[in-house]
Formats: sequence, structure tokens, C-alpha cells
Amino acid sequence: MLKATLRSFLAHKGRLVLSALAVVLSVAFVSGSLIFSDTLSRTFDRLFASTAPDLTISPKEDLSEAIPSGTTATLPAALADRVSRVEGVAAARFDAEDDGITVADAENESVGSTTGAPTIGTDWNPTSRSPVKLTSGHAPHGPSEALLDSETADRKDLHIGDPLTVIAAPGSFKVRIVGIVTFTTTNPGATLLFLDPPTAQAKLLGSPKAATSISIDAAEGVGNDQLKQRVAAALGTGTYEYRTAEEQAKSDVDQLGGFLDVIKYVMLGFAGIAVLVGVFLIVNTFSMLIAQRTRELGLLRALGADRRQVRRSVLTEATLLGLVGSTVGLGTGIGLAVGLIALMNAFGMNIETSEMVIGWGTPVAAYVVGVGVTFVAAYLPARRAAGVSPMAALADAEIAGIGKPLRMRAIVGGVVGAAGAAALVGCVTSSKTASAASLLGLGVVLTLLATVIAGPLLVRPVIRVLGGAFPALFGSVGRMSQRNALRNPRRTGATAAALMVGLALVGGMSVASASMSKSFDDQIDKTLGADFVVQNGNFLPFPQEVTEAVRTTEGAGLVVRSRFVPVAVRLPDGKRVETTAAGYDPQLDEVAHITYAQGDTAAALASGQLAMDLDFARDHDVKVGSRVPVEFQGGRRTELTVGALTDQDAAEGFGTQGGIYFGLSTLERFAPGGQDSALYVNAASGAGADRLRAALEKTLDPYPQVQVRDLADYKDLVHDQIAVLLYLVYALLGLAIVIAVLGVVNTLALSVVERTREIGLLRAIGLARRQLRRMIRLESVVIAVFGAVLGLALGLVWGVCTQQVLALQGMNALAIPWGTIVAVVVGSAVVGIVAALLPALRASRMNVLAAIAHE
Amino acid sequence: MSTAAAEHAPGAVPADGIAARARGLTKAYGSGETAVLALDAVDVDIARGRFTAVMGPSGSGKSTLMHCLAGLDTVSAGQVWLGDTEITGLRERELTRLRRDRIGFMFQSFNLIPTLNAAENITLPMDIAGKKPDEKWLDQVIDTLGLRDRLGHRPSQLSGGQQQRVACARALASRPELIFADEPTGNLDSRAGLEVLGFLREAVDQLGQTVVMVTHDPGAAAHSDVVLFLGDGRVVDRMEQPTAEAVLERMKRFDVIRSQSQGAPGAGEA
Repeated sequence: MLKATLRSFLAHKGRLVLSALAVVLSVAFVSGSLIFSDTLSRTFDRLFASTAPDLTISPKEDLSEAIPSGTTATLPAALADRVSRVEGVAAARFDAEDDGITVADAENESVGSTTGAPTIGTDWNPTSRSPVKLTSGHAPHGPSEALLDSETADRKDLHIGDPLTVIAAPGSFKVRIVGIVTFTTTNPGATLLFLDPPTAQAKLLGSPKAATSISIDAAEGVGNDQLKQRVAAALGTGTYEYRTAEEQAKSDVDQLGGFLDVIKYVMLGFAGIAVLVGVFLIVNTFSMLIAQRTRELGLLRALGADRRQVRRSVLTEATLLGLVGSTVGLGTGIGLAVGLIALMNAFGMNIETSEMVIGWGTPVAAYVVGVGVTFVAAYLPARRAAGVSPMAALADAEIAGIGKPLRMRAIVGGVVGAAGAAALVGCVTSSKTASAASLLGLGVVLTLLATVIAGPLLVRPVIRVLGGAFPALFGSVGRMSQRNALRNPRRTGATAAALMVGLALVGGMSVASASMSKSFDDQIDKTLGADFVVQNGNFLPFPQEVTEAVRTTEGAGLVVRSRFVPVAVRLPDGKRVETTAAGYDPQLDEVAHITYAQGDTAAALASGQLAMDLDFARDHDVKVGSRVPVEFQGGRRTELTVGALTDQDAAEGFGTQGGIYFGLSTLERFAPGGQDSALYVNAASGAGADRLRAALEKTLDPYPQVQVRDLADYKDLVHDQIAVLLYLVYALLGLAIVIAVLGVVNTLALSVVERTREIGLLRAIGLARRQLRRMIRLESVVIAVFGAVLGLALGLVWGVCTQQVLALQGMNALAIPWGTIVAVVVGSAVVGIVAALLPALRASRMNVLAAIAHE
Repeated sequence: MSTAAAEHAPGAVPADGIAARARGLTKAYGSGETAVLALDAVDVDIARGRFTAVMGPSGSGKSTLMHCLAGLDTVSAGQVWLGDTEITGLRERELTRLRRDRIGFMFQSFNLIPTLNAAENITLPMDIAGKKPDEKWLDQVIDTLGLRDRLGHRPSQLSGGQQQRVACARALASRPELIFADEPTGNLDSRAGLEVLGFLREAVDQLGQTVVMVTHDPGAAAHSDVVLFLGDGRVVDRMEQPTAEAVLERMKRFDVIRSQSQGAPGAGEA
């Protein structure tokens, strides 16, 4: 029996190629993402472990910054001297570092990375643990010398002697490159600028006595934990944070971890899509192979093979396919990881391909996914094969059967679909975001399942309509292609399902993102009253100097500053909420339209008062006049009175739970040294907006990190942020479509083989090759469009439900991107044509006589 | 073996009354030493308006002859005409059009497209050509074959005999110059087979069609006007007004020749 199975596998290897390709793609993404993230983790683990000092002292940060406030927490540099006298300390030195600076070249262009990696200015204090070494020039001395990392120098074509402008919180200053440093370890992508220590203190931190941390080396024989205890005992535990090398490395890795996880999850998302879509392809292939081999299987049964043997034979074949696919996929995955590493290197990271880690988990995952998916996908067809009766060997099996009636599918699909619909209705009517979101998730999964199960039932009615015009348009060629698509609803359904999954996702996401864009537009129109907004494209804060320059720009009238600060508020219901609050200048009403439920802007921004979102206030028993204890960074505390409650559509953005804001003077009193995040600028009376814009652009020329935007530009900026999400979805869709096309190609190719005699007959009685190709193409188009229509219909429902959930967050507008939808339907027809190319060519090349004689 | 096409070359346009003709028609499979001759310089004329049967033992080349005459297969040497048109040397596209417009086909089995109903199958060649069928003629054909009440049925809903009648109707529907039937009764029981043969006979007598039928059943051949006997790739005999008994007798002589040639190796044709 095994021999027969092997023979059969080899005999059908051509027909299994596309299924194998689906397995290869899934496995490649799974193993590629694992290898890539393992490699990155190890690289960074090593980097941080090798560069962290034995003990680091830094200012205590009791509030994390969800949105950068622009403050750099410092400690006295003199602490280094105190620490060095502690027993067990071999050496202690201070660091003066700012990771929020901007460095501009002679053309006023930022030399920093464009990918969002920070530009870090720090003191030049080389030790054996430095991640860089000086490779040309000399160490910086005095206030106008600096070192630059070689990767940035290469990228921007900068050399020793070139001038740079450093834009730091205390003010801009000019330096000259006197040396180039080269990374001895992996560069996580940052741009590094080194100054001599006094310059770094004075010009980056604004005080010759300040430092950002103290690095300590342990004396011989003193353990890091012991060192930590002694230093902590000497300095006290209240104001500083102590981290051993191990703790520091771990915290650094954790900080990067989020970024690494994103890459990993995106990759696994691709793998998931590949697996999901691949399953349909494999199910179809095995179903068709078995249908074609009905007589052969019947003969096996007639000769005495029992059902289990037949089933096992099919499953063995599937396992072989899975093994081959996994092995090739694993290899492809390694290639994919190499490609990703090269890509990261192109973005400025420096990871050696030779450092690649292939953990034991990678091949295990590869084979589990590859073989598992194939096995599961082949299980149903295998059961069907086992059900072939020995009589099938004797029957003159004319053409692969239509299969059993679809009643079971109708029942299961109906039940699951009803449950999914109920979940979606629940999601739409729910008023709590959390429960609505989970109902949405459940509804999406259930309706997708229902559509996949009931897909074959929809084939007849939908394709009757879609292909309804075919007979009129294309005559009997059109009629035959429409009926061929209807011939085996199960097969057409499964083929289209692969396309449907991807397009449903896209449909849903595009409705959600279009609605988000429109909601933001509406909000911007409603709330933003300023002529111009000056801010950083990544919403990062900028130095005071920029604000001053804008204020003194000719034609600028009112300038309202906005600044963020991390706070923790203790609310009347006893809850402590950590969030980010905003501070504004008192003339806020001139540049924004805020709807108040109670109070007004004057009351909100008055000294000692704050404003809060109405819903948040209700949830926590806050009323106008409530006194709310507020904690700021560095342990400063105060009590503010609620002066106003706002009733905005979207008071809470990312990280700004509660929509808390107060006067900028209040903010400065408790959190000094912050930087502005946005400036709202109105033209002075009599000054034209166009002239002001030109003047502002000229003013901001030396500050490449900030831009002037009017209402329309501001909307574009928001759209771009949303679009990033959408691009990711489109990339996922691209992969899903590639596999779905493979699926359509697969189905058509196997159908062509199955219908060889029919094709021969058609050719004999005079069907031209061109007409035959058109017949197959039309069948392919109708299957693809069927998948697209089903997917988009599902996606639209999902999108509308998602919008209802977003509406709970204040995104009230519903927008349906009809352009995208029409484009997707047209695109799917193109996909159909492309998928039919090879099968049609193959069919038209068939020898007529051989085809007629085909068994 | 020389094919000596020149010997046979008629050069001229076939005389009237000839639906198809072949001169020096040779078909070889393989090449060189291992070449097998399926047809060996065959000359044949198919008379218009008559029912011609082609008989011969298995491997005598009768199906190959039909395929070459119908433009389904290429020839190794020689010439074939359909009416005035020399079809040897026609390109694939022209051959397809020729089959569609001027030839009708019936095969032993699998004659119909399973997704189309009887009426759609009958008019398929004309639909493919984008031509309107001649309604009067179509009605006559459908009535002659007794298919009026079966037109809406799919092939799977028809019996084998009914399926062959639909195939016969399709072959007749476009009023082709020539109908080729390849063992049209091979898959039928004797009653259904007789019915189909009766219809082919009627097609010739009443509708004026020309039919060439390949068969190995003497009873079927007896329905024809003339029988051509093929043996080892050559036309070895012809019989006008055949009867089943006479055909059977003639066929028995093949067996004798065969046993003789097997008894004396090298005596037969290479």
C-alpha cells in the first residue's frame, strides 16, 4: 500500500506543485519571522549586555511618557564624585545625553534617520564598553567640536571639517566634525553625535552641573548586586533608580522589544494569511485529485483495501507533500530572513548575516505548520476518498461527481452565520467600547466561517447573476464558461474563498480607515480654528527657540502653545489614572473650538484649575469644583480644581485618557523645562495668510524637524498616519491574492485535465483555440469576481460594524470608499484573467485526437 | 518503401460527385527504423450523397483514415481534398474552421458537452461560428430524429441512444458537406444501434447528406451503400450494396491472411 501511495504521489507531483507552493509560502513566513526575530533579539541582547556598565544611576521616573514631553530628567553630575568614594566602586563617571536633538547639515537638512530612529547627542567618554571607537580624526575638545557616527557620515556624505547645527532643548549651536566613530557592535539605527563632556552638559542639558546618569564600574571582586546595595545605601533610595548591567540590558531590550514584537507580529500575520488561504488551495487540490481517481480508488477497494487503508494512503500523500513543502519553505524562510536583515541594514542597522540564529524552535514550527496544515486540509478529502465504493471501479465514471447535497453545509453555515450576525448586531448596539470590540471580533470570525462553509450554496445564485450576461455577450462560449463555474459549487466555492478572505479584510479595513479619516477631517474642521499649525511630523516636541522664532515672524499675530506632560490623577472614586495632560496658552478659544458641557476655556485654563472630558468625569464621579490630586514627573504633587467639563467627539486620543488639560502656566509651574509640541498661529490683522506662510517657512528653514501646516496640510498629515496602517493591510492582501491566484490557477489547471475529452470534442467540432482560451478565461473571471463580491460584501458589513465601535470613541463619520471597492472588483477580474493564462494556454495546446481518446 | 506520390497525383480538381478524396495518403507514426505505417499510399474517393462504411480489422488504419480525411490529424505524405479544398497544408486555424463549417462528427461515446442541454448541443457548431441556424432545416432534423420533446434535457438525463441521436442531429444541423461517424453504435445496445443507423440512412436518402462511417460491425456496415475494406494501411477491397453476410465473409478472409502471414514471417507487408 505504501508503495502504491508513493507511486501515486510521484505520478501526481505536477498537480501538487501549486499546493506545495502554498505550503512553502506559509512555512517560509513562519520560519523567516522566527529566524529574523531570534537574530535581532540575540544581536541586541549582546549589544546591551556588552555595553551596559556594572551599575547605572538615573533619576527616578515614576511616570512613563506615552507622548514625549520634551523634558530630560537630570541628576547632579557631582554625584559621580560622591559615588566614587563608595567602597567597591572602581570608577564612576557621569553621562550627559539627549535623545531628542536634531542635527542639521549646512543645507539645513536633518542628518537623522528618516525611519523615526532617534538622533542622540552625548558626551565623548570612551571606555572598553563603548559601542563605538574613534576611527578617524581626534576626540572633541571645546564647545564647537563633535564626532559623528560613520553610518550617518556615509549616508549624508559628511566629512571631517564639515559644519553641523545641533538643535537641542537649551538652544541651537554650531559644531564642526573633527572625527568619525564607527560602531563595533550593531547599530540599532540611531544617529550619534559626541561632544566633549562639559559641552554636552552645557549645551544639551542646559547646565554645566547636570548629568542624565552615572555609570559605575565595580572594583575587582565586587558583584553587581552587592555594588547596587552599597551605592543605594550611600545615596538613599528615594530619588534615584539603580540598575545593574543585567537590569539595564533587560530594560533596554524591553524598550526595543516593542519594536521587535511589531516586526514579529507583522511577519506572523503574513504567515497566518498564507496558512489560511493555503488551506483552501490544498483542500481543493486533494478533493479534485480524489475525484479524478475515483475509479482507481474503487479498484483498490475492490481488490481488498479497506476504508482505513485508502484514507491513510491519501493522508500519507498529504504528509509527504507537507514534508517536502516544509523543507523547501524552511530554506526559503532562511532566505527571507537574510533578505529582511539586508533590508534592516539598508535602513541603518548593522546586523551580520553570519550572526543569524536558527533556534531549535524554528524547524519545529516549520514542520508543525507545514505538515499540520497539509494534513488537516487533506483530512476531509481523505475521508471522502475512503467513502468511495468498490463499485466505482466498474462504473463508467463520466465526469467527477457533483458531490453530496449541500444540506449539511446549509445547516451549519446558517447556524454559524446567525451566531455571527447576532454578535455583530450586539456589537453595533453595545455602548461600551471593550465589549463592542470583543463582539466585533467574534462576529468577524463567525461570519467569515459561515461564508466559507456556506460559500458553495451561494455559488449558484450569485454566479447566475454575475455570469448572466455571458451567453448574450459571448454566445455559447460564454454559456459554457458560466455553466462550468456552476458545475461543482463546492470547488468554485473553495477556490473563491481564498480570494474572499483577503478581500473581506481589505473591505473592512478600508471602510474603517476611510471612516476614521473622515471623522478626523470633521473634527479638524470643527475644532481647529488657527490659520496655521507649526509642529513636528512625528508629533515630537521642539525647542523653545522655535517658538520664539515663530512669535517674532513678520505677520504672525496670536501664537498659542500646546505642550504635553505625563501626569497621574487620583480621582474621587479612588482610582489612580496615569495619563498625558495638555497645557495651553489662555487664548485657546482664538485657535480652537471646544464644546463645553460645563464651564469655559477661561475656567479650564485658570491658575489651579483643569478641564476634563465629560464621560471620563462621570465614570469617576468628578464634578465641576471637584478637587483632584495630580502627580507630576519627579514627585511634584498638587491639587487642582475641575473648572470645566468638555463634551467633544474625540476628547481622548492615544495616551490621553480623560482628555485632561490646564493652563500652560500651571504646567510650567509643576513640570518645568518641557518643550512645545505644537504652535497654533493666527495671522496678525492686516497680514495675509499666504504672506505669513511664506514668512513662517523662511523662519523655520533652520529647523528641519518642524513644518508649517494649514488646515488642509494638517488633514493630510493625519491621513498619512492612518494610511500607514492601510499599507500594511494592502501588503497582507497582496500576499493573500498571490496565493488565491495560485488557487484559481490550480483549480482551472486540474479542471482542464479533468475535462480533457470535453475539450477534445469541442475542438473537433470546430471550437477555435482562441475561443477555448476565452471560455477558460471567462470561467476564471467569474470565479474571481464571485470571490471578490462575497469578500467585499462581508468586508463592508465588518467595516460598518467597526465604524460603530469607533463611534463610541467619537469617530462618528461613516465613509465607504466606493472607488476602492470598484477598483477591487475590477482588479479581481484582472486577477481572474491572469490566473487563467497558463491553464488556458495548456488547454488550447492539447492535441485534439489525444484529447478525444483520453480516459 | 516508396510512397511514390507522383504516381497517383491527379493534380486536377476532383470531379463533381466526389465529396472528399485522398491521393497517396500516407500516415506514419515514429520515424526511421521504428516507423509504423498506419496508412500506406491510400487513394480513396468518397461519393457525394452516399453512405460509405469503412471496415477493417483492428490496426488496419480505418480510424486514422477518417481522422486524416476530417482534418483532425496531419498526414505524412499525400493529399486530401474536401470538395474543392485541399486540406493537406491548411493551417490549424483554417482546419478548425473547416471542421466547424463543413464537417459533422459523431463519436463512439462522449459526444455531448455535459453542461449544455440537447438543443444547445445541437446548435453548438453554429453558435461557435456565430451563425444563425437554418430554422426550417433544424426543425426537420429534430423531427426526423424524434428529439422534439428532449430538447431541454441535459446529456445526463438522456439514454445512450438518445445521446447518439442528439450527436447525429448536431452533425446534421449545419448541413455539412460530409459527416464522419466513428463507431457511432459501438456503445449502444442493438436496438438503439439500429435506430441510429436508420437515422444515418435517412440522412443520406431523405436529407441528401454524405456520411462516412467507421465500424467493425458487419451488421452496421450493411446499412451503407458501399463498404471500403482496409487492411494493413491499404484499401484492399470495396463492396457495393453490401449485406451483413457478405461483409462478414469478406472480413473472415482478413483472418485467413493474418494467420498466413503470421505462419510465414516476412511474407506480410513490413
